[in-house]
Amino acid sequence: MSMQLSNIYDDKIEEAIEDIENILEGDYVISKRAFSLLLLQEDEDALEEVKELEGKNYLKIINIVEETKKEYEKPLTFVISSYRQKQAKILTDSVMTKTKGKEKSFSETLNRIMINPITGIPIALLVLYFGLYKFVGQFGAGVVVDFLEGSIFEAHINPWINNILNNHIPWEWLRALIGGDYGIITLGIRYAVAIVLPIVGTFFFVFSIIEDSGYLPRLAMLVDRLFKNIGLNGRAVIPMVLGFGCDTMATMVSRTLETERERIISTLLLALAIPCSAQLGVILSLLSGEPKALIVWIIFISFVFLFIGYLAAKVLPGEEPLFYMEMPPLRLPKLSNVLVKTYTRMEWYFAEILPLFILISILIWFGNIIGVFPKLVGVFRPFVMAIGLPEEVSEVFLFGFFRRDYGAAGLFDLVKEGILSTRQLVVAAATLTLFVPCVAQFVMMIKERGFKTAIYIAAFVLAFSFVAGYALNWILLVTGVLA
Amino acid sequence: MKCCNPTETLKNENIVVEGEAKEGLEKIVLVGTPNVGKSVLFNRLTRSYVTVSNYPGTTVEVSRGKGVLGDREYEIVDTPGMYSFMCITEEEKVTKRLLFNEKPEVVLHVIDAKNLERMLPLTFQLIESGLPVILVLNIMDEAKRLGLKIDIEKLEEQLGIPVVSTTAALNKGVDILRERIDKYVNAA
Repeated sequence: MSMQLSNIYDDKIEEAIEDIENILEGDYVISKRAFSLLLLQEDEDALEEVKELEGKNYLKIINIVEETKKEYEKPLTFVISSYRQKQAKILTDSVMTKTKGKEKSFSETLNRIMINPITGIPIALLVLYFGLYKFVGQFGAGVVVDFLEGSIFEAHINPWINNILNNHIPWEWLRALIGGDYGIITLGIRYAVAIVLPIVGTFFFVFSIIEDSGYLPRLAMLVDRLFKNIGLNGRAVIPMVLGFGCDTMATMVSRTLETERERIISTLLLALAIPCSAQLGVILSLLSGEPKALIVWIIFISFVFLFIGYLAAKVLPGEEPLFYMEMPPLRLPKLSNVLVKTYTRMEWYFAEILPLFILISILIWFGNIIGVFPKLVGVFRPFVMAIGLPEEVSEVFLFGFFRRDYGAAGLFDLVKEGILSTRQLVVAAATLTLFVPCVAQFVMMIKERGFKTAIYIAAFVLAFSFVAGYALNWILLVTGVLA
Repeated sequence: MKCCNPTETLKNENIVVEGEAKEGLEKIVLVGTPNVGKSVLFNRLTRSYVTVSNYPGTTVEVSRGKGVLGDREYEIVDTPGMYSFMCITEEEKVTKRLLFNEKPEVVLHVIDAKNLERMLPLTFQLIESGLPVILVLNIMDEAKRLGLKIDIEKLEEQLGIPVVSTTAALNKGVDILRERIDKYVNAA
């Protein structure tokens, strides 16, 4: 080891290291010196390993650690890392020189106005308005979906497919499998290609730009105080914002949070109150014709998010999280990276949903043949009608059970048929937003949080969504806001 | 996920040993604090694509790919960011366990050159552990723009390990890094 590294720590720590090194007999992959340092800092993994490998010498080691701890007021982790930091400073000063003053006043100013609440909140709202509402909601879910859905599928592909089927396929069961109301092509592939893909694509594009600019951590700082009230720290902004892309992906990213408590709260909130991009896009575009309806939906979902987050934070025991996050520099996003990233995410998403959507079409087809599908729809019917919705919506909820985005696409179809009033549309959109996490997300929840927690969360979400939908419908009826 | 109990650690080790026997490829592992460009470098070395973003925590799982350096093929491993060996979050633990269990041929400690001082403590820990470390000063373009100059030879001498400067996002210095890794492996 070089000179620089052999004198980082003081004599007392060096002595303790030597003592422990002499006792250690097991075969460790890393050096005994590094391992001893981990033991002095009471690293859980290291302690477990020693307990296993050193037998009765374990107590001797613990003894050395305890003795050394007594020598310092502060915890050894702190002492050891301060020595390392000191050495890092000495070394840096000896090799690094600064030649000219910094010239990044613009990005510095930008940084300041982004994290100052007075200027930062309007900026955040502008980003949401243009990025989500205008680009994803109106352009992606509006213009692009209308084109693919209306001008391509409805006008050409569906009639063409149905025509071929009717003329050449004598068997009704095969015709129903491929075309008709629930066919693989006319429903499954249409939903995936014409409704979900454009929305998810536009979302990923906007999101990639936001990501690469370094804006997300600044947003995290901005909402840190708000998030503290619901038991999360600003760091949780990232999984939450990612959730607007795909809740499944976001549930996985929640593992970057520091405490198990935060991970559970964010998993719950992701399952309940964060719509995924396909849902969000469809809802934004459906409600954008009625600004009042859109506002009601936003207020309601935000309220549920904050209220449930607050309750969960009260119910779950644990310490208040500390906010600590690396602040990356603001950078001008590179178009090539934005495009490659959007493309790879779309590819990943499409590869995941297409087989599932086809599978769902087949399941529905099969369910129809053996008569289970109408029965399952029937299970939802009383609930759906209780929250003031026409019974046709039951089907959409069953779709939503498989995939959030599939359910959203189903809602899109219903609205096109014009059977929902504005109030019903808002209630349906809100309840569907809250309604069960999709199958993929549920599987991820089990993987990340364990089976029991995942089941509890899913059961709660299922029950809560209808209760909340009922309440919303009642409020809207009584106040007559959307009459 | 309770992945830190000893039985699980042992299990992991077994899996790795089996993997080594089958694959036979030496490993190059990229480590470092979050958001220093490990994934960009991974993409360069493997000529593939994993998602990269400008915020910490994009990589939450280990990515593995293959890359040719000199006349040898290696398994290149990208890891979730880690601040210190004393881990707090789950994904930091993943990286630590990987480092301790997989016996890498080379560990590339990737750092943001602008923040040399803040990142050196992890370099110290890696060297202390006896791992074969090469320090990669990445994001050099931004450091230069800030007027920072780093005496790389002196840093190499003081640390006793190879130090290479790169700007992976612009593909600068990556070829030199490849050469240095190759040289390092052959000298060992």
